[in-house]
Amino acid sequence: MELLAQGIVSGILVGGLYALMSIGISLSWGALKIINLAHFSFILLSAYIVYQLTVSFEVDPLLMVLVVAPLFFMLGVLVQMFFHLAKVDEFKSLIVTFGLFIIFQSVMQTIWSADFRRIGPVLNPYETQSFFVAGIAFQLPQLVAFVVALLIAGGMWLTFTRTYFGKAVRAVAQDPEMARAFGIDSRRVAVILSGLSTAFSALAGVFIAIGQTMFPQLAVAWFGIVFPIVILGGLGNSLGTLTAGVIIGVAAGVSSVLWGPLSAPLVTFTILIVALLFRPEGLITKRSIA
Amino acid sequence: MSARVRALVGFAAVALILGFAPNMQESLEFPRFYLIFLFTMFFWIAQASSWNILTGYSGYFSFGQGAFYGVGVYTVGVLVVKQGWSFMTALPVAGLLAGLTGLFLGLVVFRVRRLTGEIFALTTLAIAFVLASVARLSPSIDGGTGIFMTGTPLPGFLGEFTTAAYRLTLAITLITVVVAYLIHDSRLGWGLFAIRDDEPVAEGLGVPTFRYKMVALGANALLAGLMGGVWALQLGFVTVDDVFNIRVPLFVILMSVLGGMQHWMGPVIGAVIITTLTDRLNSAGLTDVNQIIIGGMLVVLALAVREGVYVRMRRRWVTTAVSFFGVLGLARLLDLNDSLISDFAYAMVATVVMMLVPDRVWARFGELFGRSHPAEEPIGAEDLTRTGP
Amino acid sequence: MRPRRSWTYLTLITALALVIAACGGDEGGGTTTLGTGTTVASSTTQGGTETTAATETTAASGEPIRVGSTLALTGFLAATAAIHKVTGEVFVDRINAAGGLLGRPVEWVLLDDESTPDLAAAAYERLITEDEVDLILGPYGTGNITAAMAVAQRYGYAFPHHTASLTYAYTYECQFSSWSTGLHPNITNPNLLYDALESTGTPPETIGFVVNEFPGTMFISYGQPDTDEGGAVAEAEKRGWEVVLDVTFPTATSDWGPLAAQVRDADPDFLYIAGLGVDAPNLVTAMQAIDYSPDGMFVQWPAPGPVLATEGADGMMSVTIFEEHPPFTDDPEAVEVAGMIDAALTEAGVPYAKVETQAAASWTAWEYLQQAAEGAGSLDQQAMCDWLVENGAQTLFHGDIEFFPEEQNYFEDLSKIKQVQDGEWYTVYPEEFAAPDRSVEFSPGG
Repeated sequence: MELLAQGIVSGILVGGLYALMSIGISLSWGALKIINLAHFSFILLSAYIVYQLTVSFEVDPLLMVLVVAPLFFMLGVLVQMFFHLAKVDEFKSLIVTFGLFIIFQSVMQTIWSADFRRIGPVLNPYETQSFFVAGIAFQLPQLVAFVVALLIAGGMWLTFTRTYFGKAVRAVAQDPEMARAFGIDSRRVAVILSGLSTAFSALAGVFIAIGQTMFPQLAVAWFGIVFPIVILGGLGNSLGTLTAGVIIGVAAGVSSVLWGPLSAPLVTFTILIVALLFRPEGLITKRSIA
Repeated sequence: MSARVRALVGFAAVALILGFAPNMQESLEFPRFYLIFLFTMFFWIAQASSWNILTGYSGYFSFGQGAFYGVGVYTVGVLVVKQGWSFMTALPVAGLLAGLTGLFLGLVVFRVRRLTGEIFALTTLAIAFVLASVARLSPSIDGGTGIFMTGTPLPGFLGEFTTAAYRLTLAITLITVVVAYLIHDSRLGWGLFAIRDDEPVAEGLGVPTFRYKMVALGANALLAGLMGGVWALQLGFVTVDDVFNIRVPLFVILMSVLGGMQHWMGPVIGAVIITTLTDRLNSAGLTDVNQIIIGGMLVVLALAVREGVYVRMRRRWVTTAVSFFGVLGLARLLDLNDSLISDFAYAMVATVVMMLVPDRVWARFGELFGRSHPAEEPIGAEDLTRTGP
Repeated sequence: MRPRRSWTYLTLITALALVIAACGGDEGGGTTTLGTGTTVASSTTQGGTETTAATETTAASGEPIRVGSTLALTGFLAATAAIHKVTGEVFVDRINAAGGLLGRPVEWVLLDDESTPDLAAAAYERLITEDEVDLILGPYGTGNITAAMAVAQRYGYAFPHHTASLTYAYTYECQFSSWSTGLHPNITNPNLLYDALESTGTPPETIGFVVNEFPGTMFISYGQPDTDEGGAVAEAEKRGWEVVLDVTFPTATSDWGPLAAQVRDADPDFLYIAGLGVDAPNLVTAMQAIDYSPDGMFVQWPAPGPVLATEGADGMMSVTIFEEHPPFTDDPEAVEVAGMIDAALTEAGVPYAKVETQAAASWTAWEYLQQAAEGAGSLDQQAMCDWLVENGAQTLFHGDIEFFPEEQNYFEDLSKIKQVQDGEWYTVYPEEFAAPDRSVEFSPGG
């Protein structure tokens, strides 16, 4: 029983990290119509930068949030300006961003080598810290990642429903031409949104650096986790993405505790297929921003 | 009708020449690697072309290629190694099982109303993950130990091992391309194009959308599975991680989009470009930068040639012919290096670079030479289906 | 908007052209062009001049002998393949500084197989038939080696290779594995560990297994498929130890929490992690996070560096062939070569820059190739193959090796047990190979 409870708790928490990795991609796809595979590189690049700064300057890795978030916001702005200039549409974005992904992968391998990198326990006290409630462990890095994901998802939801910027984003997502006609600077909206979503991915990278061993190919392994969550949650829907992350995380956690880790992909993807067939518009709402 | 006959005669000629290439290897003294190179290229042509039958023609974006390919690989692996079947009896079963997988998927997915493109894409992706898990969990398929395919006997009339594998691949590739060609110019093809443009309208016009989509998906899966079955030989050691990964689904997309998805020749051209360039770059010893070059190439080509390289080649066919054969001839004449494949790669790069010139700039050049050249010709089905290869 | 778009394209095209031009320039005006492989080793002099100056060297001359191989320079296997690249480069530099092979300089034509078996197979076809290399050497990774071996067999090439794990499957009579695990590592490896544990006088009563579903680790844990002979689990049961946990996990596991919880639930005296790469650090970290640490742990084939950087990994055991401490370093030549490899690894940015199993196996494979050619006095593949089978090889890191044809050219299992003690890896068993003042540390319940 305790085992099952632990499986559920780990699943929920790791679902938060999955969601954090997925929110940027979801926003980019839903609101900007860019399927941005380069986000996978952004996450890993951010993790490597956190690793490098932590190891070089012997600082607290969590503090690196203050460095990577603005840095990647700028990167997101630049990338979106390039997309805009080159008129990248939804379909071509897959190829263009895959090209960028390959380039980033190669650059990262050149800089940090293909070998495994890990912030040692001396500089990274968070990795193995936990809270215990009734014998159930809540791992600190995952807990923080979950809280961050929750804050972002809630924040985006409030932004989209309550603010002028949010309305502008929705207008642009629905019909950029029409939005322009109503005086919305769709380009500026898109640039800011791209900056935000890239910064969110960079935050995910911070938790990867704290919790995992990094190597360039790690990013490839994320495709199979992130895409299901993005689509299950509804494109551009941050709260939906978080919910989907938790569902996938719990399904994987429970099934691997009950039937062994090998069964986890089978169970999660079967759930996914069934869910899609019964709610093809995504889990939470009708597709797109909400 | 004569166009179709001409095209089929063309296919037959290509089949004959390439099919007997191994026999001429001794007398022409070209390295055996050329066969392996073509073998690899055929594999990708077949995978990309079969994928395009569904996705390019009907517009339903599929990530399922890896699943169909994987079913093919594993069917041959299990039947030949674990059940002791002969390769030639196992191969058709591989195609059949993959085809049935496709039909089953279609039966479930196409029945769902309000099916969006993303949902279809993701479901096809998920199928690959599910199949991979099944293979992992079941000891009678893989169970984590892998399957050794080395030393699989092939029928003697096809030649020794490499030659036989080459000919099998060639045959399946030709079948795939011919099927793609025939569908392209048929009622079925027009129906699929109509679905791509606007499915409700197509339905209103009396296109049997469900049946057409099922046929396209079934053909895609069957051909992908057949090719996978042959590829098991090249893998040598079949493991879940090597078979069910994102390489096949991703590369068929890249190749088709590069070449152009509207026409059956698009994926062929895309596959030729990507396999040649990756082969030459990979082996040039520039391991640090070759991935960067390939990545950069994808970005540039996707942005500069939106409709696919093939459409531009058609439109600028004189330039294509001149730059390709000119550079190829020049490279041969100057004896730049001893590899024909490298010369081919140079010629291809030159041609592709010519295709990169934007239509506007191209039109100005045309004016300079006193030719009036329409800047952007509309790409209609009629324009593209007029002639064969 | 439109003119700007054209400009974007033109800029991009120019950039691409420049990149291509630059790469062409890299290769220089020599004979090497876009088609042929580039020599990897050439310029390094640091190791060669310093160390081999003592030996009377006649400069290598004539047409270079070209050795062809691929390595997983990119992709999932790249982390470890980097070690093999560096080791090979050091070997080539050193042999060239010492007068070459058969009096001719050695050139290594190295291609990237992107960690994919079908690409490896195609690359070996190319090396043999288009580049027409004189000798070949195996790639890195079980799947890639298997695919390449099939090609080598078709063309009758002698095929030295390192670190292929599925010993039972390699029946080609000219294949020579430089990873001396013997033909039955599924029996000998676990028993070596179990002997080490029993040597403490307090062997475990219960044992747990977590097994990566990777063909090599499945083989070690459960024995050869179809025969089910041996295997770490069965061998443990033979000793009367109770197997309280036996879980298989997929190679691409990303959430280790549930697995860690299962281990804690079973609470074995000793945990056998049949994993590779960073499996052990990931699992140990997850166990630490739920406040659990087993009394003893073993991991099959870890990346050695990350284990040391893991909290709670002290006492972790593994198998090894060579470690940089006595008695292995009693041979001054081994020290010298290890030093050269360490320096080259550091320069290549590899975080754990020490010679252990991987580099040692890599070096040994090159030695096989060198001794076969010198022994046979020619580059005739069959003669080289026969010579090796007949005479065996004298190796720097493995000692004298014989190839038993009836054992598929395998020799004895030369593995040793190493353990993390005070933040470093030390060989601890058998005693005659243990580092000074080191011995197996394990006490259940302690």
